[in-house]
Amino acid sequence: MLLSIVIFLPLLGVIAIALLRNMGASAIKGIALVISLLTFLISIGLYTGFDTGIDGFQTDSQLYQKLPWISGLGISYHIGIDGISLWLVLLTTFLTPICILSAWNSVEKGLSGFMMSLLALETGMLGVFCALDLFLFFVFWEAMLIPMYFLIGIWGGERRIYATIKFVLYTMAGSALMLVGILALYFQNGNSFDLTTLLAAQETFTHANYLFLAFFIAFAIKVPLFPFHTWLPDAHVEAPTVGSVILAGVLLKMGTYGIVRFCLPLFPDSAALYTPWIVPLAVIGIIYGALVAMVQPDLKKLVAYSSVSHLGFVVLGLFSQSDAGIQGSVLQMINHGLSTGALFLLVGMIYERRHSRMIVDFGGLAKKMPIFATIFLVVTLSSIGLPGLNGFVGEFMILLGSFVGGAFSKWYVVFATTGVILAAVYMLWMFQRVMFGTPDSTNESLPDLKPREIVVLLPILLFIVWIGVFPKTFLKPMESSVNAVAAKVKVNAEENTPAVGQVIIDGKTQKPVILKSETADLQLIEEEAQTK
Amino acid sequence: MPFEIPDINLLMPGLVIVLTLFIVLIFDMIDAISKKTLGWMTIVGAGIALWASIDLLQAGTDQTQFKDMFRIDSYSLFFNIIFLVSTILVALISISYLGRDDKKQGPYYLLILLATLGMMLMAAGNELIIVFLGLELMSLSLYVLAGYFRESPASSEAGMKYLLLGAFASAFFLYGIALIYGAAGTTSIPGIAEKLTTESQSPLLLAGTFLLIVGFGFKVAIVPFHQWAPDVYEGAPTTIAAFISAGPKAAGFAAFIRIFIEALPDIQTEWGGVVVLLAMLTMTVGNVIAIAQTNIKRMLAYSSIAHAGYVLIGLAAANPEGKLSAMLYLLVYCVMNIGAFGAVILARTADGENLMISDYAGLGFRKPLLGGFLTLMLLSLAGFPPTAGFVGKFYLFKSAIGAELYLLVIVGAINTAISAFYYLRVVVTMYMREPEEELEFNPYPSTLVIGLVLAAVGILLIGILPSLLLNPAQNAVL
Repeated sequence: MLLSIVIFLPLLGVIAIALLRNMGASAIKGIALVISLLTFLISIGLYTGFDTGIDGFQTDSQLYQKLPWISGLGISYHIGIDGISLWLVLLTTFLTPICILSAWNSVEKGLSGFMMSLLALETGMLGVFCALDLFLFFVFWEAMLIPMYFLIGIWGGERRIYATIKFVLYTMAGSALMLVGILALYFQNGNSFDLTTLLAAQETFTHANYLFLAFFIAFAIKVPLFPFHTWLPDAHVEAPTVGSVILAGVLLKMGTYGIVRFCLPLFPDSAALYTPWIVPLAVIGIIYGALVAMVQPDLKKLVAYSSVSHLGFVVLGLFSQSDAGIQGSVLQMINHGLSTGALFLLVGMIYERRHSRMIVDFGGLAKKMPIFATIFLVVTLSSIGLPGLNGFVGEFMILLGSFVGGAFSKWYVVFATTGVILAAVYMLWMFQRVMFGTPDSTNESLPDLKPREIVVLLPILLFIVWIGVFPKTFLKPMESSVNAVAAKVKVNAEENTPAVGQVIIDGKTQKPVILKSETADLQLIEEEAQTK
Repeated sequence: MPFEIPDINLLMPGLVIVLTLFIVLIFDMIDAISKKTLGWMTIVGAGIALWASIDLLQAGTDQTQFKDMFRIDSYSLFFNIIFLVSTILVALISISYLGRDDKKQGPYYLLILLATLGMMLMAAGNELIIVFLGLELMSLSLYVLAGYFRESPASSEAGMKYLLLGAFASAFFLYGIALIYGAAGTTSIPGIAEKLTTESQSPLLLAGTFLLIVGFGFKVAIVPFHQWAPDVYEGAPTTIAAFISAGPKAAGFAAFIRIFIEALPDIQTEWGGVVVLLAMLTMTVGNVIAIAQTNIKRMLAYSSIAHAGYVLIGLAAANPEGKLSAMLYLLVYCVMNIGAFGAVILARTADGENLMISDYAGLGFRKPLLGGFLTLMLLSLAGFPPTAGFVGKFYLFKSAIGAELYLLVIVGAINTAISAFYYLRVVVTMYMREPEEELEFNPYPSTLVIGLVLAAVGILLIGILPSLLLNPAQNAVL
């Protein structure tokens, strides 16, 4: 019940604003802020009521709900969370009030529509993370496009229409394939869209490879994985600040979440089959994103391309077939949401003051805006992955997991690691050009952050440090859920390399022998068997 | 031969329409009565017929009348609901549309009712000749309605074009019936099916089948028989364009699906592939050409061609679920399409209609109600959740996947993405572009708003709680 309240409370806010939109700007903003804060407060109850011992979906009736919805088609309103979705739900409810507060004075036209879109978007995103019925998932996945489409298209920059149409069409093209995949699964699952029964029936799927691709391409577009990333810089640059924060913070995570929720556990064999194709793409994304980010003259574009790079890490970790790698990826989703969200907020704040996002226009801000510069530095370092801040934990786990556990060449991990160095290059270089040097006449008069803006940023900073110093708070609840996913993938990856002590058929003699150790020479074992 | 007394109860929906027809005819002669009353009479008559149809449907009726020529079953009754809902909505949007020239309204409603009667005949026809009679009754009324604005050259051209091409289509259809009769020796739908199971197929039968496809292809505007549609929609009065795109299309499909699934299931291997091909072609051509349109009525015309392609998916699936999903989609489609045309009428200014998409710039903020309606209808046509259009399309795709038509569904799903482009373009224009000139819009006519509110509530309600429609429909039809 609690979960449903969290999902649909923002929608109630939409209705409230629609009814009271003539009450004036402050009333609209107030309603939006109160509703989103309330949603966040209630969603904390999800964390306190969370049982870390369960490796699947939570069974507490507060965190799990199943009601008949469209009985004629085997569709139910089925929602629940596990350790993976818990954090994404909390990230969403955490970022939305921050977004509303950050947009306090920056919306000039159609304020009620803006707030309604934002709250409707929140419901859509929460629904995606909580849906355990594929139909319900798809409904939220598609419905969420509409408010985002308006957010970019109405309140965006100059080329907003191009960007918003591109965003919608890319996503729709991907989801068209996913829809076919969902429908095909329905008939393989005893006429049901239910995820829990699908997971149980996973081994009986036919055409699993095609189904995997149908889902994966939809998610890869959303992530976005190289080479599907071209919509992202456009959408980010044209979106209003809030749009960018939500886009980077939460929307991109829907893609990686889809991979870890559907692609890996439903089609582990196919995931293993395609890993040699996906991992190079992820690594290319890491390096390509970083290199392109380095040469961007526009702050927002730089951050946008850094997202491509960061999400390459996440995808790499997801396909590492190791507990550490997948766990790192899930944590990195949160990290990226926090630090990139904060970066977009900061860029938005400086844009409001200077009406430019070009790096060349800045310089010497550190002297004039010390608070801004300090916060910017922390966030920059977190994005680079400085030990002690959140980015380090996630990236380290991903790299470690894929180096040790990955069923692919270790060179990929070596190349991926250069992404961390490149991140330091483009982020610090940007920081240096923006913050140091002597301010010119226009930058001379820029005011420092206002209390409202500090309030917006402080909670994010808190979590950046918290995750960096004591990640266990966040890793512990997700552990069993991640391990369950990893176990599925690993069992299938290890099918061909039998465990020690297992009886195997010797290829040469066709006799059963016991495998003594993984590296033992088969010949020796065979001889032993003969002497016995 | 004993004379069979028809069961008035079973024929009630049709009889009510006939009665309404006469009442409208008589009251039209009385000058003292406002012509608007005729519109309301049409609505009330269609409403009673709708109620009678639902009543019969709930009773699980499945009987034949007039020596097996009529079949009153869940199929025809469900289609009655589609036709009557369309008629009611069209009448609602017509009352204010025709307000200006009061005199000619009698024949207008009369013809709408006649066309509705023809549609009901088509859906209930258990006999190819009855289907043909219904088709002609409907088509002849529509030819006149398309050319209803006699002073407007575009309208006259639309009527003439529709008449010529429609007559060709009828000829094809009739020829098809003749050939099938030659092969099977009967024109009764169950009779043909029976004959086919015992006898081997003849080339005559195949030729007849394909002529029927051509005939229906014209009537429901399937590519490559679609060329008349954009011109007729553009020239005809907007209310009639809405009407032609809804009820008659559904009626064409009613007969199409009934004949092919019930009379010709044994040669499904022959026509199945053709239908799949036509479906892909229709969706793709309709959607791709719609992208290039600048006139909203033409855009909706091409979109309605594309939607005919979606409905064909249900026929191609050729299973009971496919049939039902096509029926449900037609109902949803009729409501949302009439809603979209209604919103176009709502955007009228003092000097006429605004049909260029660019005229809609900035409308979303200045006319929130109109913007909201049109956006909802377009999103539903594009198949976004949580609208009925999404549910309908989902069900269609599902039935086709059940019949293992993967490629067809992939093409359909990609087409959905293509269609989103041009539907959203109108929304873009309404909300994201600044108007070039300030247009003075007419005040909202109340009947039109009632019609649109009904359509909008229906679209959202079915989108959020599809069981309301789906469960009774499944119980009745499957």
